[in-house]
Amino acid sequence: MPLSARIGDHKRKSLRQKLAELNWFIVLVIVAIASLGFAMLYSVAGGSIDPWAKNQLIRFLIGLAIMIVIAVIDIRVWMFLAYPFYALALGMLAVVDIMGEMGKGSQRWLDLGFMNLQPSELMKIALVMALARYYHCLSDEDTLKLKSLIKPIILIALPVVLVLRQPDLGTTLLIMMGGIALLFAAGVRMWLFVASFIALIPAVIGAWQFLKPYQKQRVLTFLDPEKDPLGAGYHIIQSKIALGSGGVYGKGFIQGTQSQLNFLPEKHTDFIFTVIAEELGLMGGLSLLSLYFILLAYAMIVSVSVKSQFGRLMILGMVITFFLYMFINIAMVMGLVPVVGVPLPLVSYGGSAMLTLLVGFGFILSAAIHKETSIPRGGAFA
Amino acid sequence: MKPIDLRMEGTRQGAIETARNRIIVVMALFTLGFFSLVVKLISVGVFQANGTTYYQTASSSQSALMARADIVDRNGVILATNLKTPSLAISKVDMRASAEELAQEVSEVLPEMEYEDVLAIMNAKGNHRWIKRKLTPKQEYDIRKIGDPGLVTSDSEKRIYPHGRLAAHILGAVDIDNNPKLGVEAYFDEQLSDPAKSEEPLMLSIDIRLQHILNQELTSYMDKFLAKGAAGLVLDVRTGEVLALSSLPDFDPNDLNGPKNLSEMNKVLQGVYELGSGFKTFTIASGLENKVVDLSDGYDATKPVVVGGFTIRDDHPKERWLNIPEIFAYSSNIGTLKLAQDIGVERQKEFFDKLGLFGKSDIEVYEKSGPLLPRQWGPTELATTAYGHGIAVTPLHLATGIAAMVNGGRLIPATLLRKNVSEFTGVTRISSDDESSAHSQVISQETSGIMRNLLHLAVEVGTGKNAKVDGYLIGGKTGTAEKVIKGGGYSHKAVISSFISVFPINDPKYLVFAMLDEPQGIKETFNLRTAGMTAAPMVGDIIRRIGPLMGVSTTKKDEIEYEDLILVSGHER
Repeated sequence: MPLSARIGDHKRKSLRQKLAELNWFIVLVIVAIASLGFAMLYSVAGGSIDPWAKNQLIRFLIGLAIMIVIAVIDIRVWMFLAYPFYALALGMLAVVDIMGEMGKGSQRWLDLGFMNLQPSELMKIALVMALARYYHCLSDEDTLKLKSLIKPIILIALPVVLVLRQPDLGTTLLIMMGGIALLFAAGVRMWLFVASFIALIPAVIGAWQFLKPYQKQRVLTFLDPEKDPLGAGYHIIQSKIALGSGGVYGKGFIQGTQSQLNFLPEKHTDFIFTVIAEELGLMGGLSLLSLYFILLAYAMIVSVSVKSQFGRLMILGMVITFFLYMFINIAMVMGLVPVVGVPLPLVSYGGSAMLTLLVGFGFILSAAIHKETSIPRGGAFA
Repeated sequence: MKPIDLRMEGTRQGAIETARNRIIVVMALFTLGFFSLVVKLISVGVFQANGTTYYQTASSSQSALMARADIVDRNGVILATNLKTPSLAISKVDMRASAEELAQEVSEVLPEMEYEDVLAIMNAKGNHRWIKRKLTPKQEYDIRKIGDPGLVTSDSEKRIYPHGRLAAHILGAVDIDNNPKLGVEAYFDEQLSDPAKSEEPLMLSIDIRLQHILNQELTSYMDKFLAKGAAGLVLDVRTGEVLALSSLPDFDPNDLNGPKNLSEMNKVLQGVYELGSGFKTFTIASGLENKVVDLSDGYDATKPVVVGGFTIRDDHPKERWLNIPEIFAYSSNIGTLKLAQDIGVERQKEFFDKLGLFGKSDIEVYEKSGPLLPRQWGPTELATTAYGHGIAVTPLHLATGIAAMVNGGRLIPATLLRKNVSEFTGVTRISSDDESSAHSQVISQETSGIMRNLLHLAVEVGTGKNAKVDGYLIGGKTGTAEKVIKGGGYSHKAVISSFISVFPINDPKYLVFAMLDEPQGIKETFNLRTAGMTAAPMVGDIIRRIGPLMGVSTTKKDEIEYEDLILVSGHER
């Protein structure tokens, strides 16, 4: 029997119906956030669409199309593809790792011809889907059993090890935290988290030995950025000056002295929030936070009404990933957490992260459209 | 599938409960996360934890660059402008090297500062301290090369007077914090320091070329006669605009820390002197205007007269009956006081009052004086004020009055601002009342014409002969007065000799006043220090240079009016 016939039951919706049910308001919010990004990339290039704004716009349009396609495809297809998808991402991570071993130096991406893809970004989504599928198929009694934790921990550990070897501390932490958050949402017993957290303390001390000097430096500088104002603390001091200098209403579009005069490092990628706060002021920063809040609140509300465990967990996983991106980035530029390379979702320049987030939101929207679809524990096509 | 679901009903309920709880926990954490971001964003953006806001830090350097408006002369030549000059401060929290090391390096760059001085500043209390204000570009470069983040250079502005001392008394100066001292800097401070008007220069009536000539001649005559000081003024008698004004000794507005700076009085606006014979012009004009006398009348100047116990004599005694033109040309004290007695106290006082001699002038500086007037007006005072003694006014008072005598009788207040600035767009224009009707008519046109001729006569045949300039028709009056000694009485050794002149006298345009403070007699002048010997030639030299510059055409010698009235005695011609 062809695939389409097997999934097409009596409740099947037409494409037109699905498009009508797609939450276009949320699509609009996504477009609004990305547009703020284009404007800022235009600004930091000194008022030019080259080299960043134009590329970003093209990638966003491609990503947006992919998101909508993902949204209208039946959620059971995605559940079916969860493990293969995870295997593909893990394979690509391994390839990157091997290429690094083969002497090409530290590399985090694969050249696909039309774009450089970071498998670690892909892995964030793949891991969420794989874990969601695993817990979907688990009975509630089994969920509580310690034995059932073995597989998810392996699912999380494999990519974590590979990404850490790249080495990319920021992404490693994001993947790990995303995975753990999903275990939490799936209903793993609370005392396990508390116990792991306590166990983590000696682990962190142990891990300190393995950090590269520049990573140690970053943590130390985070604790006291003024200690090294020209060196490692430079990023965060310049960023804070820029944030503060914007005041309430900002210096005006393309008027930010910190960003336009290149005092600010990585202003088009990780530190783009600083440019927003400098040029558009506190009001600009709060507006962006509000847009993010709308997106995440919507996704959370959807997750409550989704019938399938897979859909619910997947949404939670994506939302947590998205939230971590946003929170860590903004907290970083404001000096709340150490400087780690995490982009601002949908705003920072960069193709992989943008694609990851749009694909992730595609799954959230798909779950929303198919929220009435119940999936048997045995699997989508069992 | 269904049976499985039914069998698991109990735990299913529990699992959904757990899932809901977990979602609520996640939502709570999200909200907390957002909340912490918003709080931090507001705190970084608006307040900064340790009191100073980043917003202020970033914008304070901008406010220091608010330019003070330029001051320009009547032709747009810059008299005062601003130069960006960095200042050096130490910020201790940013310091990386030790204070001793930095002090060593900084004192090497700044030769005027000793190592100990710099170290003392660095060790003083407080985080931020000035080390040196207004660095030179080379010093700034060297300080930056030291490269310590604790050495903070900030842009500030230094007021620059490109002409140095040349117009110091008019311009005044500003101190290191741009607070104005003296001159138009102080008088127009509100306008000059208004950031909204920083692009509009303040245009003065001064012509820096005339200022230069005046200054040069005053300096050279001051040296020649070993005088203590000198002062001069060039006034446009038609508009009241001051074209040049100089007082020596002066000061350097670019170096306020120099000795005695700013303490040098502006002799033209602040100094009050008994200016002597210049006042005879007023007395005679008053006599003619009040129809007390006419030109052919005269007085007996045969013998000195005694008034109130003082014997009053003539400096150039003719010992005969003198008519009015002779009294003026020979500067007869006796003739003038007798005329004043005929005019009477009331009319004399009224006339002086109309000329503005009893109050402060309206000129646009704060450092100006009112006159010193007799305490009561008895016969003695009437007599002495008639020839300019017993009444002390500023040279500007005299000049404004004389201008009214020759310009057709209109008293026009002197101003330091250029009038009719319409051709200079974008330039501040403050007074616009240059309509002749607005000014008070103090004497008739007719009397003014007579006064012109008398002044001309005084130069041609009288005491002002040394002021003659070939090709120009000049009118003028000398003034020699003994200085008042502290505690009363007159000094016979210390005199103020002055000369006030107007040219071309047939169509008066410019008034030139110059005076020397305590000139000494020299061989060339037969040890004389009277105004005719000292101040008159000085004014002649000034007119000789500024006449061509101002485009005053030369004239063939005119018929001298009233010359026929003058009885020429042997040694006068």
